[in-house]
Amino acid sequence: MNLVFALAASVLFGTGAYLLLDRDLVRVVFGVVVISQAAVLTLIASGLRRGAAPIYPLPRTSVSDPLSQAMALTAIVIGLAVTALLLVLVLRVVHAYRSPDLGELAAWEARRDAGIERLLEREHEEEEAAAR
Amino acid sequence: MTALTLSLVIPWAAGLVLALLDGRRPLVGWLAVAILAANLGALAALAVAVLPDGSVVVTTGNWPAGVGITLRADALGVLFALLSSLALIAATLHEVLDGVRERTFPALVVLLAAGLTGVFLTGDLFNFYVFFELAMTAAYVLATYGSGRRELGGALVFTTVNLLGTFIFLFAVAGVYHVTGTLEMAGIARRMDDVDPNAAILLATGFFVAFSVKLGLFPFHFWLPTVYTAARPPVAAILSGGLANIGAYGLLRFGGELLPDELDLASGALIVIGAASIVYGGVLAVSRRSAGEMLAYSAIGQVGYVLVAIGVGGPVGFAAAILYTIVNALNKTLLFLTAQMRGAVVGAAFALGALSVAGVPPAGGFVGKLELFRAAANSPALIALFVLGSALSFVYAFQVYQYDFWRGERAGRRSTIPQQAVVAALALLVLALGVWPEPLLALSHDAAKLLAGDGSG
Repeated sequence: MNLVFALAASVLFGTGAYLLLDRDLVRVVFGVVVISQAAVLTLIASGLRRGAAPIYPLPRTSVSDPLSQAMALTAIVIGLAVTALLLVLVLRVVHAYRSPDLGELAAWEARRDAGIERLLEREHEEEEAAAR
Repeated sequence: MTALTLSLVIPWAAGLVLALLDGRRPLVGWLAVAILAANLGALAALAVAVLPDGSVVVTTGNWPAGVGITLRADALGVLFALLSSLALIAATLHEVLDGVRERTFPALVVLLAAGLTGVFLTGDLFNFYVFFELAMTAAYVLATYGSGRRELGGALVFTTVNLLGTFIFLFAVAGVYHVTGTLEMAGIARRMDDVDPNAAILLATGFFVAFSVKLGLFPFHFWLPTVYTAARPPVAAILSGGLANIGAYGLLRFGGELLPDELDLASGALIVIGAASIVYGGVLAVSRRSAGEMLAYSAIGQVGYVLVAIGVGGPVGFAAAILYTIVNALNKTLLFLTAQMRGAVVGAAFALGALSVAGVPPAGGFVGKLELFRAAANSPALIALFVLGSALSFVYAFQVYQYDFWRGERAGRRSTIPQQAVVAALALLVLALGVWPEPLLALSHDAAKLLAGDGSG
């Protein structure tokens, strides 16, 4: 059983990491979501024990570990909140840059840096000229 | 005990109320400052209670010990909580005096304070994750402050990379629960000795990666310059002076207390990574012209010292790491706040911060560097590294000082007197730490002894 969980979690993590490296922002969000699911699965797997649901345990019956389930629930809720936040952030970025592509963002940043560089260079040359 | 509860409840409850109010109104901004001050007061009261006799432990919800979530305040946690709270207050005050631009800003800072206080004062591993995520989520939204193209792009990078970091942390938490069967930090420290070394090393690596991403150490630093230069100065000050403390605290707490054997094993690797950080950050900072970019790369270099000190380990190494983190957080808060200011006091404050970064005597940074040298006294290679790093930081800090303050004035409007007063007060604090370092030295040595003592025994 442990092996199944380990395989499933690692496949999810790998898929998520692959999506995370994409240039499309929506895929990046999906990547984060899938990785968060891998973490939830690992949390559940951390306390695997056969038994009934630990709601009202009768004496001498085995119950499953409630703590790892509680942790998984908390992680799911946090994951949901974070996903919503990330989606809104992506929406705002898409509005600001008018493109859902990370390449566009990088290109804009590069153009901006080049502009600053040119400005500094001109300033420097003017100063040199003034010094002469 | 009440102080511990209050320091968590005040910012949490107040943050929820503030979220409903329009933060652009000055009154709301001042309310946030007052709440942060109240939080700082509660933490100071807690510090007074904790520092003489060890620690305060509260089990939440009146559950029996071992069932409920434990909150624990000890010297290390209280020191970091106080430090972060101070950085947040300074940055918020600075922004409120300037005029808050977005309605969510005060609420987010207060919620961030709640998360940070919780991270430093919890004794439960999963609870640590929850507070960690609370602080990070507030910070993700704060990073968009200003809402320009740059801020949004930076916030996106910040959010994605740090989410990945927190998920790696969560994997390690699940692993720790699997091998030890408990989430209480004290219990984990006791049971870690019986754990299979391979599993323990894997978990230690997970925690190390998670906190290094947060700190921005060399191979995990790739997000940091983009974010710190894109964010507005008060937000950059909050991120580097308040939030990044989680990384240093996590390395100290998890390395020093929970996984001391693995820390010993990895000490060589930590020193190498720290050294790479120092050199990389220093060299790239020298090549930068604007104050913001220089500070971003300097942040990478400065945390390298902390990692080297942790790698050296033992009471002396930990004390140096704690002290250097404190001094560095104050330096960064001060310098990031001055990054776009203009005025008579600003130049002096920047110069003092620059002296502190370089570790020149009257400023607080000197004491931090001195402790580092003490920790590395047996190794000529480390001493040489620290001298090289200090020389680089002297060059990059004063290069920017020369550009921005000697060759004429910065562009933009002159900062108001109250804003300059905030920066001046921070600069005086940095100076005071250098002139009268005994209290802080004693505190960090106490905290380090506690950590090292817990680890070996």
